[in-house]
Amino acid sequence: MKRYGGRWARNEEMADYHAESEFERRLDAWAEAEQLEPRADLQRELSRTLRASLKPVKPLPSNGVLLLQFLFAFVACATGLIAILGKSGIHIMTAAQVGGMAAILASGSVFFALHLVSRIIPGNRIALPFWLGLALVALGVGAAMALLFPWRMPGAFVAEGWPCAVLELAIAIPAAAMFWLMARRGALFASAGLGAALMAPALCLALMADQAQCMFPQAPHLLVWHGGMAAMLIAAGAALGRIIARRLL
Amino acid sequence: MSRSPIDDSDLRSLMTRYQGADAAALDELVRRVSPLLLRYFIGSRMSRGDADDLLQDCWIKIHRSRHTYRPSEPVIPWIYAIARHTRLDAHRKQRRMEAREVLVANVPEGLHQTAPEAAQEESGFDRMIAGLPEAQRETLVMLKVAGMSLEEVARATSSTVGAVKQRAHRAYETLRRALGKERGDGGLSR
Repeated sequence: MKRYGGRWARNEEMADYHAESEFERRLDAWAEAEQLEPRADLQRELSRTLRASLKPVKPLPSNGVLLLQFLFAFVACATGLIAILGKSGIHIMTAAQVGGMAAILASGSVFFALHLVSRIIPGNRIALPFWLGLALVALGVGAAMALLFPWRMPGAFVAEGWPCAVLELAIAIPAAAMFWLMARRGALFASAGLGAALMAPALCLALMADQAQCMFPQAPHLLVWHGGMAAMLIAAGAALGRIIARRLL
Repeated sequence: MSRSPIDDSDLRSLMTRYQGADAAALDELVRRVSPLLLRYFIGSRMSRGDADDLLQDCWIKIHRSRHTYRPSEPVIPWIYAIARHTRLDAHRKQRRMEAREVLVANVPEGLHQTAPEAAQEESGFDRMIAGLPEAQRETLVMLKVAGMSLEEVARATSSTVGAVKQRAHRAYETLRRALGKERGDGGLSR
């Protein structure tokens, strides 16, 4: 039995070896198949068309410089907005609340700025997929709001809440436009991801300024009026990106 | 086995000259890169005519985005990333047109597509490749036909090296199984 079993195993190994060789051979044959040459007239036409608008261009700066430019814009806007809107909200928060929210929003801003730099340069390295990063930041912000702030329902939930949501909207839309103006120096390919990627750093900025002036540091208020508006704006950014991509085609 | 049809250092110098408005460098780039792009588009189950159209679109996008190339970076992933966006845009456009199409009961004789004849000419392995999901087929074309590294494919497809490895592995497994079925056994699984 052992002898037949050993022969059977050897036959299987041989069959596997032959099958693998066959697979490699056919894959290589497919890869080496006909080398397609574009039509000569098409190549001439392409060269002629492109030559007509051939001018010297200056390459974009390095990823590090682009990242610093995005972050500088973010910090300058955040500082200016907090100076204008006031920081009364910061005074009524505990150190843990201020530190936790600032750390998460700052990390989110760095990630989204990094992602924008990767997105505007074709063939750039991606460290973390955008939607995964977005989900992590959203989870972090949601967890911070739910765990660091007390679960007390304010007296007038809607009356106290909607001004915060409107303020967030009023900051996020122009901020997204500013990031778009900065990003369009690179190569932008319209998509849902691009819409969300432009809206995400704008929302970090809006959440930071909104939180700094908000006088209602309670979990339900923050989750619904700050977090809820952020989720709606991300969805709106993605939808807008998708619509623009379809319209352009 | 993967091939390296074009030396990236040559392309870097051509790209730098192209950014400086050197027309000869542009012609040389068009001559060297177009066959790769054409093969990439045809590898996406596209007719030769459609692939020619996409090649033109792609070169216009490359031309408009040429300032985003930095001489310190590899050229091939940069070009393939633009080609990929061109193909995705064309795919979206095609889906939109298909959704708007009016069903015609009797298609005139001359309008029949030549796909069945083309399919007959296709080898069995080509059909297996054509049956792969788009992302896996794209990964195979970049790895095996363009001879790109995993890192370069990851850059071109805006994904991670791990995701590229996974797509390539799944493509190989599917092809091994299909080959096994063709031979009449269960196929290999690694």
